[in-house]
Amino acid sequence: MRRQVPLVLCFAFGIVMALTEFSPHSLSQGLNEEVIKWALVIGPFALILAVATLVQTHWVRIRRRAEHWQYSYVVFAGMIIMVLVGIPTFLNRISFLSEIHLSFGPKSPIFVWLFNYVQVPMDATMFSLLAFFIASAAYRAFRARTLEATLLLAAALIVMIGNAPVGDLIWNTIMPFGDNLPSAARQWILDNPNLSARRGIILGISLGVISQSIRIILGIERSYLGSVEGD
Amino acid sequence: MIEKLMNIDRRIVFILVALAVIIPSLLSVSFPITVSQPTRSTYDYIEALPAGSTLMIGFNYGPSSLAELHPMAKAVIQHCFQRKIRVIGMTLIVEGATLGDEMLKAVADEAGAIYGEDYVYLGFRPGATQVLLGMGTAIDSVFESDYGETPLAEIPMMADIKNYEQVDLVLDLASGSSTEWWITYTNTRYNQQIAAGVTGVIVSQMYPYLQTKQLIGLMPGLLGAAEYEKLIGKPAKGTEGMSIQSFAHLLVVGLVILGNIAFFIQRRRTD
Repeated sequence: MRRQVPLVLCFAFGIVMALTEFSPHSLSQGLNEEVIKWALVIGPFALILAVATLVQTHWVRIRRRAEHWQYSYVVFAGMIIMVLVGIPTFLNRISFLSEIHLSFGPKSPIFVWLFNYVQVPMDATMFSLLAFFIASAAYRAFRARTLEATLLLAAALIVMIGNAPVGDLIWNTIMPFGDNLPSAARQWILDNPNLSARRGIILGISLGVISQSIRIILGIERSYLGSVEGD
Repeated sequence: MIEKLMNIDRRIVFILVALAVIIPSLLSVSFPITVSQPTRSTYDYIEALPAGSTLMIGFNYGPSSLAELHPMAKAVIQHCFQRKIRVIGMTLIVEGATLGDEMLKAVADEAGAIYGEDYVYLGFRPGATQVLLGMGTAIDSVFESDYGETPLAEIPMMADIKNYEQVDLVLDLASGSSTEWWITYTNTRYNQQIAAGVTGVIVSQMYPYLQTKQLIGLMPGLLGAAEYEKLIGKPAKGTEGMSIQSFAHLLVVGLVILGNIAFFIQRRRTD
């Protein structure tokens, strides 16, 4: 029963929603719009699930004294502080709090300060480190060992040079022909070989998604249900 | 010597990268920028919109991609306010909520745009697919109030904007897959015109959609921002960043060439 109900629901909604996409009838479109509204209500529950999983994972890490377990307290502290500052907007109606300029919600100065001076620098720093690792990895690993690797290398170098204005400047200074050739060559690579390869990949992925969707709707693929005791 | 070159300490590479970023940012070097066709198409489309048209901007990026996408957002919003095009901001990812709010407000203050008349910021709602589909029926069925919790019904600008039919262009500023969501759920289903500004790493993924006109334009990373700044005649962070990007790219190209020269010499010796 615990498996049958989700399978029946999945089949019914999968078939009906697919059919509504092909019918412009007002009844069909009305149903489609109604189900989208349901999905809008169900969507936020995924956030609750995510928070519950995060809490569970880090609580277990602390309990088991896993490696670097102390940092799990930082996760909890960050989460609790942001929730306390960001969510209770109803507190803004309390006159005492507004008198002392304490406000809550995503526009609250405390929330914005924490975002701008904690999250933004940390996120930006983590991402910036990539530049160093990419440069080091490119130097060590980007070798023209085979024909395929050589083609990849040549394309990458042209796109990199074409993607920086200095490429055109150098070319136009030293070459008497082909104005802005590096950026034109980059654009040709993106417009032709890249586009063709990407389209092939998109078609492959799309066919895979369609086939997987049919398997899920028909109940052949059931891994999304997880393991149910007794099955 | 070749051995040493092949096994160069990575900290030396790190120092070179740091210098390639720091030196050009201290010196005010500038390079001429060639505008690519996909960026020009975005500009031309917005330029051709009559005053009073509506552009919806999706701030679908977090702080990690802020350096690339914020200059792009600023340039496009400046262009819109200059052309008297109304702007609706929103985001499908939670980190984008504060970024979008601050960016819109900052540009509006500079341009003298009025909240509720010239621009509105809707903020974030969870469930990207449902949000995109829901706005096709009624924007207020998804965002019943704006980011500051003012009901949409009380915002003058939103009186005649009900769904995508009143939105002339969506500009998705993305560091992830959101542009593909917009294409799948709004272009295909509602025939919504879409342009995108994306981080450098995902530019190549967008070209098939450009060819099929599912995207009317595309701004590629920081270069796209610099190109747009050139088109509107207001050089800012994107243009400044081009000197840094130029030196960093030259360094990486130089390192790759050097590494390959060393590799071939070593291979010849071994043979």
